[in-house]
Amino acid sequence: MIKKEPLLEVRNLKKHFYLGGRGSKKKVLTAVDGLNFVIYKGETFGLVGESGCGKTTTGRTIIRLYKPTDGEILFEGVDLSALNEKQLFPFRKKIQMIFQDPYASLNTRMTVTDIIGEGIETHHLFSGKEKQERIYHLLETVGLKREHASRYPHEFSGGQRQRIGIARALAVNPELIICDEPISALDVSIQAQVVNMLEDLQNEFGLTYLFIAHDLSMVRQISDRIGVMYLGKLMEVTTSDELYDNPYHPYTKSLLSSIPIPDPRSTMRESRIILQGDVGNPINPKPGCRFAPRCIYAKDRCRSEDPELVEIKPGHFTACHFVKEINDI
Amino acid sequence: MVSKMRDFKFVDSSKEMDKEQIRESLTYWKDVWRRLKGNVVAVIGLIGVILVILFGVVGPMLSPYYFSDQITDFAYLTPTLDVFQITNVDDGDSENYFVHLNNDYRLLLISEDGHVLERLIYTGRDRANFIYFYDYEGEEIAVDYSKRTDDEYTGDIDYTITFRGEETLYPTKTVWNKTFLLGSDHLGRDILCRLMYGARISLTVAFVAATVNLLIGVAYGSISGFKGGTIDNLMMRIVDIINSIPLVIYVILLMVLLDKSNMWTIIIALGSVYWVGMARLVRGQILSLKDLEFVLAARTLGVSQGKIITKHLIPNAIGPILVSLTMMIPTAIFTEAFLSFIGIGMSAPAASWGTMANEAISLLEKYPYQLMLPSLAIGITVLSFNFLGDGLRSALDPRLRKG
Amino acid sequence: MAKILEVKHLVTSFFTHLGEVQAVRDISFSLEKGDILGIVGESGSGKSVTSLSVIGLVDDPGEIVSGAVLFEGEDLTKLSDRELNKYRGDEISMIFQDPMTSINPVYTIGNQIIEVIRAHSDMNHLEAKARAIELLDLVGIPEPVTRLKSYPHEFSGGMRQRVLIAMALSNNPKLLIADEPTTALDVTIQAQILDLMRNLQAKMGASIIFITHDLGVIAEICNKVIVMYGGKIMEKADIMSLYEKPQHPYTQGLMQSVPKPETGQKKRLVPIVGSPPDLLKPPSGCPFSPRCKYAMEVCLKESAPLYKISSTQFASCWLHDKEAPVVEGFVKCEPVLDEEAEVIL
Repeated sequence: MIKKEPLLEVRNLKKHFYLGGRGSKKKVLTAVDGLNFVIYKGETFGLVGESGCGKTTTGRTIIRLYKPTDGEILFEGVDLSALNEKQLFPFRKKIQMIFQDPYASLNTRMTVTDIIGEGIETHHLFSGKEKQERIYHLLETVGLKREHASRYPHEFSGGQRQRIGIARALAVNPELIICDEPISALDVSIQAQVVNMLEDLQNEFGLTYLFIAHDLSMVRQISDRIGVMYLGKLMEVTTSDELYDNPYHPYTKSLLSSIPIPDPRSTMRESRIILQGDVGNPINPKPGCRFAPRCIYAKDRCRSEDPELVEIKPGHFTACHFVKEINDI
Repeated sequence: MVSKMRDFKFVDSSKEMDKEQIRESLTYWKDVWRRLKGNVVAVIGLIGVILVILFGVVGPMLSPYYFSDQITDFAYLTPTLDVFQITNVDDGDSENYFVHLNNDYRLLLISEDGHVLERLIYTGRDRANFIYFYDYEGEEIAVDYSKRTDDEYTGDIDYTITFRGEETLYPTKTVWNKTFLLGSDHLGRDILCRLMYGARISLTVAFVAATVNLLIGVAYGSISGFKGGTIDNLMMRIVDIINSIPLVIYVILLMVLLDKSNMWTIIIALGSVYWVGMARLVRGQILSLKDLEFVLAARTLGVSQGKIITKHLIPNAIGPILVSLTMMIPTAIFTEAFLSFIGIGMSAPAASWGTMANEAISLLEKYPYQLMLPSLAIGITVLSFNFLGDGLRSALDPRLRKG
Repeated sequence: MAKILEVKHLVTSFFTHLGEVQAVRDISFSLEKGDILGIVGESGSGKSVTSLSVIGLVDDPGEIVSGAVLFEGEDLTKLSDRELNKYRGDEISMIFQDPMTSINPVYTIGNQIIEVIRAHSDMNHLEAKARAIELLDLVGIPEPVTRLKSYPHEFSGGMRQRVLIAMALSNNPKLLIADEPTTALDVTIQAQILDLMRNLQAKMGASIIFITHDLGVIAEICNKVIVMYGGKIMEKADIMSLYEKPQHPYTQGLMQSVPKPETGQKKRLVPIVGSPPDLLKPPSGCPFSPRCKYAMEVCLKESAPLYKISSTQFASCWLHDKEAPVVEGFVKCEPVLDEEAEVIL
C-alpha cells in the first residue's frame, strides 16, 4: 500500500563537475542539472536514461557521496544538502545503497560477516552474539545460508554477491534504498530472482526504492512511478503504466520504441522511431532543451528556451514546449 | 538403436540444488604462495634471505669470537693454509706440528687439523741467500724463499722449510683454517665472525628502513591519496623536495650534526628520507581504490575515514606495498654498505660489510679474500632479496588470478 | 542450400591449475548462406567460447579438444594459425563486445581499416583508402573523408561499433561473427546498430552468427536460434517456432523470467531457481537438470539426445521421449538418428 506521504523530495538538484579551464574555456560537466521529483513512502521510483544522463550521479548525490552543487534534498523534511558528515551520520542508517558491480561492491579481503556487520558496528546497533544472530538472519532473508557467513566474496557467484550487498544495505534497517543498476551485471535468469526478492523485501519491511536502471522493461516491472532522464534533466515523470501506454515526450517515445521486442512476430517494429546521432555530451551543454539536437519536432524555441517539467495530466509531468501539439491534447 | 533402461521418474530438483557447490577456491595468500612456490628463482631468493637472516641472528651466538676480538699475531691468515710438517709422531715427537708462512713472512705453528697455535718468533735472516730464521722451542727453522725472488727460476717450488737438517720442498698438505674459518683480517679478527656481525648490521638497517617505510610511508601516502585536492598536492610537493636531496650529502650533514658515526646515525638518516618512495606508491594505490564500489558502500554506511583507510584501502593495496618493501630492503642494505665503504657510515671497529670492504681495498693484491668475502656477502644478500621481491611481484599480480 | 559453416561435435576446454574447465561440451550446428543465427546463453553457457573456437582464437590454457569446424568444407581446426589468418578478416570476420577496447587507440581509424583491407587484397594505399571511405559511408558515419583521420577516442561508443562493423565487412566476408556487439551500447544506439546490421546483411549477403544473452535482440534480427546452457545445446529452432512454442524447460524458463511490457498486464516474473553451473565440475547428465522443475532420474544421469519437434525445431530434453510422462507444452517425438541428414540447423 502506498501512502501518499513524501519520503524524499528533490528540488532543483544540481551536480556539476569542473573539468578544468578558466573563464570562457571553463569546462563543466553538468551531470545533474536541476532535478525536481518526489518519492513517496513505500513506493518504487524508477529512474531511467541512457549513458551520460546523470542517473547514477543523481543517486550518489542524494546519498551524499557527492556534495550537491545546488538544490535541496529533503528527507523526511530535513535538507541533507547542507549537512556536514557528522550531521549526516544518523541519516546514513536511513538511506542505503545497492551497487551495480557484484565484483567490485564487496571488499574481497573481508568475510561476509564483516561485510554485513560493518554497518551494524558503525551505528552500534548490536554487538556480540546478538550481532551474529542478526547477520545470520539477514543472510537467510536474502536467500543465503548461515554457513556462508565465514566465507569470502570470491567464493560466491555474481547473483549471490548481489544478495550479500542487499543484506549489507538491510543490516541498518533503512527506510530508503537507492538501487544503482543492481541487476545489470547479472545473468538474465538471475535478474528475475533478485527483482522478485527486492519486491518481497519491500513488502516485508516497508521499504522505499529509488531504482536506477537502463533496462526499461525491468524498470517498468518493478516501479510504481518512473522518471526519464536525458543529459542531466528530467524529460518525463509519471506512473509506469501511463509511461508505457501513453508517453508524451519525444525522447520517451523513441526510447520505448527502441526496446527490442522478444517476439519476432511483432509488428510494433515497423513503427519504431530510430533516433539519429549520438547521445549528447553533458559538458558545457548548449542552451535550450537538451533533447533538441535529436528531436524530430524541434523548433527554434526548443533551441533557446529550456522547457520546465509541467504537470500535463494529474500525475503526468513532461518537459517539452510542444507536448500538447505532439500528442494532440 | 536399443534404448537402455531409463528411469523417467520425476525428481525433487530442490534436493539437487542443495548440492550447489560454492567452489572452495584458495584464499588470497594461499594462491600467492602457490604461485611463488612454482617460481624457481623466487624460491632461491627466499632460501637466500632465510639463510642470511639465520647467518646474522644465530651465527654470532655460535661464534667463539666477538667482532672486535683481535689476535694481532694471527693477522692476515687465509681460509686455507698450505702447511709444512715439522714434527712427526712417527719420529718420536709428541704431536704432529706444521708451519705456515703467510704473505708477510710470518711463520705460524699449525696443529694437525688446522688450528693456529702460535706465531714463531723471527730470529734473523740471511740476506744473500734469501733465508729467514725462526725459533721453535729453541730449535731453528729456516725458510728459504730464494726461488721466489729468482726471475729465471721456472720450477714450482715457492719456498722451502728446513728443520732439524731436513729440507721440505713442498707443502705437506693444505688444511682448512680451523681457528679462522674464513681467514683473519689485518688486525687478526675472525672474518667469518665479522661477516656475521656485519649481517646483523645490514639486517638491522634493512628492517628499520623497512619499518619506517611502512609506518611513515604508508600512513603519509594513504592520507595524501585519500584526502586528495590541495592537501594531496601539498603533501606530494613535500615528498618531491625530500626526494631531491642527494642521500650522501644528507648523511654527511647529519654525521656532522650528530657528531657520531655509528649505526644509529645511518638509521636516522635512512629512516628520515626513505619513506618517500613508499608514500608515492601507496598514494597511487589509494587513488585507484577509493572510487571502487566497496569503498563507496563503506562511505554510505557512515564508516569513519580512518577505518576506511585501514580496513578497506590498505588491505587491498598490500600486494604492491609488500613488493615495494622487499625491494627497498636490498637498496637500504646496499646504501649502508656503500656509505660505510666510502668512509661515511659505520667506522672501525664496527663490522659492517662496507667497512670490511673498505679496510680490505689496500690489501687487494696480497689478500684478495679479505675484499671478496664481504663483497660476496653483500651480493648474495641483495640478490636474494631482489629475487624474492621479483617473485612476489609476479605472484601478487592480480591479472594472473583466475576467478 | 549450401551449408557455409558446419560445426560438428565441438569440445573446447580450458586446462587451468584448478582442473579442466569444460566450456563447450559437444555441440553441433550449421549455417546456410544468408542465415543470421543467434546463439543465446548466459554466463558459462559456452557461447563466446564457441565463437572463438570457430575462428580459432582460443588461447592457452584453452584448446579445442575434439570436433570439426567446416567452413565451406574446409576443417578450420586442422589449420595452423598462419593458414587461419588468411581467413580471418577476409572470409570470416569477428566483432567483439566492447568497442572501447577492440580498436587500437594509438592509430587513426583510417589507418586500421586500410590495414585490414590491404592485408587481404592487392589494393594499394589509395585504392584501400577509397574503399575505406566507402565503408564508413555504408555504416552511416557522417563526413567519412575527414573522419578517416580521427582517433578512436574521438568517437562515441555507437560510432566505434560502426567502425568495427566497417572493418569487419571491409573484405566482404562470407561469415560474420558478432559476439555481443550491442550489449555495451545504449538502447537507442542499439536500435540503430541492429537496423544497420539488418540492412547490411541484406545488401552484402553475409551470414551472421549473433551471440547475445538478450532474447529481445535475437527476435529482432535472427532467423534461427541456438539456446546454450552449461556448454551444451538445449534447443535449436527457427525463430518463429522458438518464440511461439519453446520446447525446452530452459528456453521456457528464460522467456518467463523476462518482463514483457507489451502484454499490458504486469505479472510477477517467474525466475529460474538456482545459478549457472560450475564448469569445473559440471553435473553429469543434462546441465540444466539441477534447476529444472521437470527433472527426471534419467536427466541426472544422461544427457538427452536431440529430439525432432519439426524439421526446423530440435530440443535436447527427455520430456519429448515417448516413455516420459506427458507434460503440457512438450510434444512427443522421435530422437534424431542421423544428424547429418535431418538437422538443418
